[in-house]
Amino acid sequence: MDGHPQPDTDGLKFSAERIPDDVFDRMREKNLARWPTGAEIDLEEAAAFHKSMPKHKQLGWVMRKADEEGRCLTQPRGGFGTLELQKELMVCLDKQGHADIVPTTTDSYTRNEQWQNAANGVEESKKAGRSMLNGYPMVNYGPKTTRQLIEAIDKPAIVLSGTAMPRLTSEVGFAAGYSGYLGSGLAYTASYTKEITIEQGIRNYQYLDRLAAKYQEMGVELHRRQPGFLTGTNIPPSIAILTCIIDALLAVGQGVKNYGLELGQTLHLVQDAAAIKMARELTQEYLQKLGHDDIFTPVTSLHWMGAWPYDDAQCEALVAYGGTLAAIGGAVSVTTKSSHEAFGIPTPEANAAGLRSTRMAIYLARHIRLDEMPEFKTECELIASEVRPVMDKVLEMGDGDVAIGTIRACEAGVMDIPWSPNNYMKSRVMPARDADGYLRIFDCGEMPMSKEVMDYHHEKLRRRAERDNVPFDHELAVASVYELSESLETLIPFPWAAE
Amino acid sequence: MSLTPEQRGNVTLITGVIGADTHIVGNRILSMALEKEGFKVVALGALTPAEDFVKAAIETAADAILVSSLYGQGELDCRGFRDMCIEAGLEDITLYVGGNLVVGKQAWEDVEQRYIAMGFDRAFPPGTRTPDVVAMLDEDLKDKANGAAA
Repeated sequence: MDGHPQPDTDGLKFSAERIPDDVFDRMREKNLARWPTGAEIDLEEAAAFHKSMPKHKQLGWVMRKADEEGRCLTQPRGGFGTLELQKELMVCLDKQGHADIVPTTTDSYTRNEQWQNAANGVEESKKAGRSMLNGYPMVNYGPKTTRQLIEAIDKPAIVLSGTAMPRLTSEVGFAAGYSGYLGSGLAYTASYTKEITIEQGIRNYQYLDRLAAKYQEMGVELHRRQPGFLTGTNIPPSIAILTCIIDALLAVGQGVKNYGLELGQTLHLVQDAAAIKMARELTQEYLQKLGHDDIFTPVTSLHWMGAWPYDDAQCEALVAYGGTLAAIGGAVSVTTKSSHEAFGIPTPEANAAGLRSTRMAIYLARHIRLDEMPEFKTECELIASEVRPVMDKVLEMGDGDVAIGTIRACEAGVMDIPWSPNNYMKSRVMPARDADGYLRIFDCGEMPMSKEVMDYHHEKLRRRAERDNVPFDHELAVASVYELSESLETLIPFPWAAE
Repeated sequence: MSLTPEQRGNVTLITGVIGADTHIVGNRILSMALEKEGFKVVALGALTPAEDFVKAAIETAADAILVSSLYGQGELDCRGFRDMCIEAGLEDITLYVGGNLVVGKQAWEDVEQRYIAMGFDRAFPPGTRTPDVVAMLDEDLKDKANGAAA
């Protein structure tokens, strides 16, 4: 169930410190006993399996190689309720979609540790002959069976599991042979849960990161990744980047070396390119400030995460444009959507088509960079001037401990995200799109943004209100939520015919 | 015919996102809009178990429950929802459901029929805007709105 009002502390004082080995061994024992398939997990055997895979199936290596060569890799999302459907999907994405990274999204019962419900969903799916679950119930199938999925493809695989409770799923995923894992303590707890405290979410991801570091100690470099897209609804770059920095510092505290940062696209070319550049730069700045100079932090750009249009052709434009944005911004990978996005989960074929459109767009845009453009430089500076005061305050509030600082900052609204379902986030910060198509901050809530920064945002948003002839109020933020899902007649009419 | 805000003030609505589903944005916007139109709204938020909808409806003597589901697993979460209401003594409660109600792109007529068969009074497809919901509520709840006012 969603809801652990009392944090499960495992006898550990809450901090950003690395979990001691003996404590971690006890935590693992307790964790693996929670579902029968936990007994199949053997770390030594799993590490040996990872090492036996060719390098091109290991995501840690593939991300580093792509970064060196200036490539932008493609990765979709995807999960179905049975092993057979999931295998077909993954093979289709690999072969028909040319996916560079093949995903397995878990179903929402699994994400919420409702494994009995997931088991029921598998049976219902088999009965109905179609997937009744919105993802693959990885814990129910267990690592041995799930390894068949890894063996069916010739690409690296990543687990996508939007949850604040990743402990058992990550054990199963890594043991099955997945070399990538998306999720983090601040970002996912704030955007995917209601009653789980930020502390509990961070503790759960400290477990996952400690586990990934264990593999690193055994000579297997896994790719951990942070979901800075958050609630997916008009997240201004600075807010995403703040969660990137915080989650990276937390992961590195457990010994992780290969840590990806995700950013949802704003759909403004200049703003997205600036966000991609500054996510990496600012994360490195704070990592180095705290003494970590050997952490690899590639950036992944995500196709539009807000509401999508209900017309396949409109969606195809968003898909291809999303590839363009990722390539021009210099993202190391892009996470794709498809023409079915407005209706939920795509068929394997539609998903594969989204990958191919994106791939072609990347090819077309691969030589273009904005580095010398004045507008680009202005946005980069703006992002840095928003991030640094908040991040410094978070560290100050924790007396240097980023875990403690994060909890206190979230409680106070100093660290905040828009549209959060979580009871422990203030969620006062409110973004809206300006007249030039940039995402701006209408209301920064309690976040310590300077007057200069907020004046700039307000001036830009006032211009939008004037242009659209609407009041300068919260409705600007609400209208921005649905804008991209509107029909073409609304977005860009032929206005002269009626005259 | 649409109701006045005063008439709507006699109507209590429960909103929320059912099951293990975290998609809160649309539901929050809907709840805000319904409140602005005059309805009494009890917003349960994301990740709400079916039982909690029913519990809240009993506690507040609600007239309708508006269930949102965006993640595809609504078919499993909403099964038996009407029976649960009847068992709790809520025989006459109006039940709406809306969102991305199944896994994948399926014909809306089929999806709608499936939910009507489950006992929902109305099902709303993806992309429904709040004025359409208000119009339906005005129509379906006019007796309750007037009855309570009398």
